[in-house]
Amino acid sequence: MPRLNRIRQARYLPPLVLLLWGWLLVWSSVSARLDLLLNAVFHPVVAIAGVVLMVLGAVQLRSAPRLKTPLNPLSWLVSVAVALLVLLFPPAPSFSDLAANRSEALPEAPRLSFFLPPEQRTLTEWVRLLRSQPDPNLHAGDPVRISGFVLQRPGMQPQLARLTVRCCLADATPAGLPIDWPANADPKPDEWLAVEGTMTTQTKDGLLINVVKPTTIQSIPRPERPLEP
Amino acid sequence: MTRFATGWAIFQGLLIEALPFLLLGVSIAGLARWLVPQSTWIKRLPRHPLLAPVVGALLGFALPACECGNVPVARRLLASGAPLGTGFGFLFAAPVLNPIVLASTWAAFPDQTWLLWGRPIGAFLIAIALSALLGLLPESSLLASALLEERRLSQPLSRVGLLERRSGLVGVDFNASERRLEEVPLRPAELLQHSTREFLSLLTLLVFGCALAAAVQTWLPRSWLLALGSGPTVSVLALMLLALVVSVCSSVDAFLALGFAAQVTPGALLAFLLLGPVVDLKLAGLFTVLLSTRAIAITAVAASLLVLLIGQWVNLVLL
Repeated sequence: MPRLNRIRQARYLPPLVLLLWGWLLVWSSVSARLDLLLNAVFHPVVAIAGVVLMVLGAVQLRSAPRLKTPLNPLSWLVSVAVALLVLLFPPAPSFSDLAANRSEALPEAPRLSFFLPPEQRTLTEWVRLLRSQPDPNLHAGDPVRISGFVLQRPGMQPQLARLTVRCCLADATPAGLPIDWPANADPKPDEWLAVEGTMTTQTKDGLLINVVKPTTIQSIPRPERPLEP
Repeated sequence: MTRFATGWAIFQGLLIEALPFLLLGVSIAGLARWLVPQSTWIKRLPRHPLLAPVVGALLGFALPACECGNVPVARRLLASGAPLGTGFGFLFAAPVLNPIVLASTWAAFPDQTWLLWGRPIGAFLIAIALSALLGLLPESSLLASALLEERRLSQPLSRVGLLERRSGLVGVDFNASERRLEEVPLRPAELLQHSTREFLSLLTLLVFGCALAAAVQTWLPRSWLLALGSGPTVSVLALMLLALVVSVCSSVDAFLALGFAAQVTPGALLAFLLLGPVVDLKLAGLFTVLLSTRAIAITAVAASLLVLLIGQWVNLVLL
């Protein structure tokens, strides 16, 4: 117990915990982990906060006075344990799982993308465009070149989808496009695919909808920036 | 296992996104303590029951922080002896009444003028009402015990009951003891150490809040909430529950609300934007450094009722 008390009163303990968290934020920024967690707008904020924490930790490591009262063991033990767990276990979310729980109400586009040629539109831009223009025939025959993960909702055909994020994964919203899968295709949930083909129309439950008819389907690794704004 | 991995990722996203704002809040609180001696401005704050929360709410324009960042600032205000109304006015209104949040609301809803007025006015009214309600409780059953101790140290003895004075100061000349209690300013190294401890304590509570929010989000399908429909009351309740669960920062919640703005009633939309900055799962832990459990429960219930009333009134007018 005296040893534990000595640790709790050690003047270097709080600065070390700050350094650890600072390193965690800087490491998350450098290692592109943030691309999986947050909208890009927040990446510099996280990196700056990490550097500030490290500087504050380093300054205190040199000059902090001895602690007058010991640290609450809960506060530093939980901090250290969680920081280490976050460092050791990077996020590996199932995009399909995330999307399955969410509404499909997409946030507005951060910029206008209507004038992009069809083959340059991303999957999310396609979904926004199709939702804003009610006549599916307008885009029939357009070339499509998109990538996304396979989103399998219960009782529905698998779609190709992307997640849009305004803040962090907590507000991820799926944007999915129906695909006319060829008979030999076996799309697995969460698998990332690049699809080239043509936009067509099909009638489903009495409604005319746009469906992508693929000419090529290629399995791809998860992109570096899988989330879209 | 897949669910757990998804929950772990949501937890990391919430925590890493909130951390810079927590750091900002602790830094503002620390800087305010260092640069501006308590005696010069805390004492000039009005103690009038109505004016105090108004001033507190308006302080958000000077000390912009979202709801995670403003907890340490509000704590510093209260610990320094600011009137309770000012501290609570700031705590409840500043996450909305600050330039960053107002700008993001405008950016998300440039064509919905009513929302640009409705959000700050609603937040202001809620802050005044909550401050008045909490003001009915005695300080001893209102504030967290550690904060209460700290606050008593910075208050003139005349405001502390005889039984609450823990030293033999009874009978000491009032002016002399008041001068001593104002203390010499902290040295920078001590201030830094103090702020670090505050940051680490709040970080622990933030970790618990984020874990709770991530767990609920992972195992409670959000589509259930949104599917609750377009009824004037049910939709308000559903979006209030969503604000509670999602726990996103007030500086970006407007963009999130934009995502389902078309599906829900206007009152529900406003309710989402008003309740989240005052009560959410991520804040559950952070509030324990300020308020007693009873006061947190009263805040949560009263804020929910007020937001429900405001949401229904908006639906009555706009639908």
